[in-house]
Amino acid sequence: MLVLSRQRDESIMIGDNIVITIVDIRGDKVRLGINAPAEIPVHRQEVYEAIQRENLRASRLAPSDTQGIGRMANRGTSNGQPTPPPAGRGIEPR
Amino acid sequence: MRITTTRFGRIDVDGSDIITFHSGLPGLEGCREWALLADSSNDALGWLQCTTRGDVALAVVSPRRFVPDYSVRIPRSELTPLAIDDLHQAQVVVVVGRTGKKLTLNLKAPIVINLEARTGRQVVASGDLPLQFVLCSEQPPLKKSA
Repeated sequence: MLVLSRQRDESIMIGDNIVITIVDIRGDKVRLGINAPAEIPVHRQEVYEAIQRENLRASRLAPSDTQGIGRMANRGTSNGQPTPPPAGRGIEPR
Repeated sequence: MRITTTRFGRIDVDGSDIITFHSGLPGLEGCREWALLADSSNDALGWLQCTTRGDVALAVVSPRRFVPDYSVRIPRSELTPLAIDDLHQAQVVVVVGRTGKKLTLNLKAPIVINLEARTGRQVVASGDLPLQFVLCSEQPPLKKSA
């Protein structure tokens, strides 16, 4: 791993379009400012990893697991919110 | 386009029904093209089926139907790639998961879809929101099939 020393208000460039600036240092906490193109997602690592794990778990859900989910909807208070996807075609899970 | 899926068998998907996630989804980075399907046996539920991997699908719901006070704040930078300025121009769904026998909703990372452009992105919402919001059921537990 490349290790660089920086002071407050100093920056690091990654490639030619990502700039990370040390905004503040207080005790063991560092605040970073990140300038990156919109198409490059920036995440806190632990949050990103938790979402990865959750997506992988969710991607193994079977249609039979979701039976009864309709009964859990708060129909009375839904403000007439439409059902989720104005989707393509109905599919009949086998 | 005909795709073979592990859950739904063979299904035909119109090219115009395909939603492109340019960054994939966290954990499913290789899955960029998805079809949004309605579940004919359950009108509260939809499925995002990956068109290139038949075994990958995510159950999705409209969060407000389940969590009426769910208000999601998403940094504007997360919406820019979708070419939308605010969420009113988009369809927001959340992914259904399961913890033990309980169904959960990922309220922290909703999926935002620009229906016109057919592009989507899973975003990280601001604030302290659960990745596994447990859905309460007043119903008795589901019958186990033998």
